[in-house]
Amino acid sequence: METTRVPVRADLFDPSSLASLGHVEIIARWVVDGFLTGLHRSPKKGFSVEFAEYRGYQPGDDLRFIDWKIAARANKWVVKQFEEETNLRATLILDVSRSMAWTGADTRITKLAYAEQLVAALSLLLIRQRDAVGFIRYDDRLRTVIPPKARTAQWRRILHALEEEGAGLKSDAQTALMHAARLVRRPGMVVLISDLLVETNEVTEAVRMLRAVGHDVTVLHIMDPAERDLSLAGEAVFADPESGVEVPATVADVRSAYRHTVDEAIAEWKQAFSSTGAGYEVFTTDVPFGVPLRKAFAARQRLP
Amino acid sequence: MSFLEPLYLLLAGAAAVPLLLHLLRRRINVRVEFPAVRYILRAERENSRKMKLRNLLLMLLRILAILFLALAAARPVGRLIGAGHAPTAIAIVLDNSLSTSTIVEGAPLFRRLRAAALAAAQAATPSDRIWLVTADGRVVGGSSSTVADAIQRLEPIGGSGDLNEALGRAIGLVRGAGLPARHVAIATDGQATSWRRTTEAGDVDVSAFIPPGTPPVNHAVIVAEARPTRWTPRGSVVARTLGADSSTYRIAIGGSGNDARTLARGTAVADAEVVVRAAPAERGWVSGSVELEPDELRGDDVRHFAAWIGQAPAVSVDPSLGPFVRTAVDALVQSDRLRLGAEAAVVSADAFARLPALIVAPLDPVRVGAANRALERAGVPWRFGPARRESGTAREPASVPTKLLDGATVSLRYPLTAVGDVAADTLARVGAEPWVVAGDRYVIVASPLDPTATDLPIRAGFLPWVAEAVSQRLAGDAGVVLSATPGARLRAPAGIQAVDDASGQPVPVGDGEIIAPERAGVYFLRRGGQRAGALVVNAEPDESALGRIAPAVLQSRITGRQVSVTSNGEQWARDAYTGSARRPLVAPLLILAALVLLAEALMSRGTGDGANRGSVKAAA
Repeated sequence: METTRVPVRADLFDPSSLASLGHVEIIARWVVDGFLTGLHRSPKKGFSVEFAEYRGYQPGDDLRFIDWKIAARANKWVVKQFEEETNLRATLILDVSRSMAWTGADTRITKLAYAEQLVAALSLLLIRQRDAVGFIRYDDRLRTVIPPKARTAQWRRILHALEEEGAGLKSDAQTALMHAARLVRRPGMVVLISDLLVETNEVTEAVRMLRAVGHDVTVLHIMDPAERDLSLAGEAVFADPESGVEVPATVADVRSAYRHTVDEAIAEWKQAFSSTGAGYEVFTTDVPFGVPLRKAFAARQRLP
Repeated sequence: MSFLEPLYLLLAGAAAVPLLLHLLRRRINVRVEFPAVRYILRAERENSRKMKLRNLLLMLLRILAILFLALAAARPVGRLIGAGHAPTAIAIVLDNSLSTSTIVEGAPLFRRLRAAALAAAQAATPSDRIWLVTADGRVVGGSSSTVADAIQRLEPIGGSGDLNEALGRAIGLVRGAGLPARHVAIATDGQATSWRRTTEAGDVDVSAFIPPGTPPVNHAVIVAEARPTRWTPRGSVVARTLGADSSTYRIAIGGSGNDARTLARGTAVADAEVVVRAAPAERGWVSGSVELEPDELRGDDVRHFAAWIGQAPAVSVDPSLGPFVRTAVDALVQSDRLRLGAEAAVVSADAFARLPALIVAPLDPVRVGAANRALERAGVPWRFGPARRESGTAREPASVPTKLLDGATVSLRYPLTAVGDVAADTLARVGAEPWVVAGDRYVIVASPLDPTATDLPIRAGFLPWVAEAVSQRLAGDAGVVLSATPGARLRAPAGIQAVDDASGQPVPVGDGEIIAPERAGVYFLRRGGQRAGALVVNAEPDESALGRIAPAVLQSRITGRQVSVTSNGEQWARDAYTGSARRPLVAPLLILAALVLLAEALMSRGTGDGANRGSVKAAA
């Protein structure tokens, strides 16, 4: 009796459920594997003409690249991998300020955890494509700076960097973006992952400058669902963990106006980034990792 | 609107809670870390006016909800606009006592009471049950028009009636009607003497209408009596008047109105007794009246009496009784109160042979046996006992008004012993034993009428007592005088077959009971076609006291769930059905509270979707 193996799509799992299953490294591999499984074949996607090495066949791999001789000899399916010749240098910039380490519900992961998982998965995905990936962590200052490299070990460095401390009282995205511009001399890809609880002008000015030197910039705006629609109840003094500003409010009284304000803020961000030619997407932490991954990967695929 | 549980209105104080919360909102103790505070600040800044208005509305809605709930808890009862009144059992108690005929502000008070009662009756609907109950005990039930007709025909009676009894009857009627709304509406002049008792109304609503105004100063004849009832032919009329000052009176006898002959005229001092002695030429049963000048209450300006007038009885005196009795009889004969003759005898018991007789105990104790044998022969059911020489004092029963024997000292007496069942009056006792007794055509004195046995012969009351004993007890049965108030029920005396009506025509007595006419006057009793007494109908003296009861006191005299007193006749007529129009408002208030809470919930929820809402504590 023949059994059919159904591929597991971890990229479509609920993030909080997925995060509870293991370390970020494992989760990132599952997510990327699942993501690649669902990816449609494209002439641009990942394979160059210069042979590099063999690797084990994975569901979703193009059958054209299966080495049938080895399959016949060793009864093992392997695919031929080719050295990519694109010169893409991607820099992932992660906001690790204190506001990111927040969740609106115990059942959800924090924005930072979500963003770190996304960084791990995205960097793995890019490295698998032989792109050079750099990584910057920042809060009120630069916490981590890893220059872009296309080596497999680069991913380990990035994962190791994710464990470093952060949670500063301020987000200095401008400095981080400017530093990214210095790290990548040639035009490349910059992905900013942040909750964007900063002043619009500072960020958009930096993005405008990056765009001016030819970088492709994508901003992934991470929000907790409770931040998106103030889905709390009761009344309390709401305190900003970074600035310390406190506002007493009854949720029921301000919810409607709050949602309207958040919609306006998102629209403003979208308008600001759009005017600079940068990509912008908003995600909440209950969205499966595959969604932002697809958006970021799509941005990469637009590049040569 | 009224409240059945007014204490729960204190819950309305909880309305201050939302107000305080609104004012003290900035003192929230729960602190929540929330990175997107900037958005809250911006939302508040941009929507501050709208949010203030919304918060104000929310606060008002919450206050309203609490007020509605507090009101509902207090179980309010009130009228719902346009709801009409539910089927009601209503009894209208209309005071038609004599006092309501008082002229106040140019018209009899009764007209105003009747107009108000009529309005109340005409407000009834076919689904109501309605009765009219009057002070004299009449009950008329049926449709609104039937009761209205009865009200229009009603006139004041000559007495007070019994308003308490009428009220009790009305309460019983509405209770038995089986309708949930029960009301008794009283239209009364509020005469204080009519409301001395307390009536339990229970769950029946009672409203009373007392017309405004001050009752006039009233002059009235409150006592008019013939003393004695049997004039021989001399007698007295005793009268007493009521009023703030003196008043002119006229005493008339024989007939009524202008036909009556004036016996005396004079000025009576208020509350002082007037005694007029006379020896009229009329014979037999005659009617008389004591009249005052007319005032605002005509009904009590005349009071009636009746007397039997005839010749003095002829009497013989036993010489063995001694000088005191003989002297007394001689004096009475000289004053025409007795005649000498053989119709009756004043005799010593041992010498007595036939009735009628005033029988006196023998002076010599050895004659007691002979005396007892004489009594036995005459069929007198009393016997003298052995002589008892001990000092004692005679006491007359409370029922004897004259008190002529009271206080007489007795030192020798022969205790009287009844033989068999005796139908006799004891006129005086010494200790616990009868001393003077009277029966059918006899009077027995248990002591010799001699100063060595009793001081009665030398007392001032001796002469009138002999005169009364002979004329009233021995001179034959002239008949009786029945005194009654209008509408009273009396047992007819033995042998009475008919009572004259107002026109003088005899009306047969049925079932041995006489119902006194509603109008005051003298109505002669008939035995075998002859006058054998009189029924004297007069208003109760209390009915002449026109002082009114205070509304609060009247309310306290009628205990019940809902008792009200008003001086507004129109309002009283309208409110007669208020109890049924007044309905529990708990349900409407709860519905209002629910609607307000719903509005509050919708407003609180706003346009957002709160399905996936956590709590600030969870977020904290």
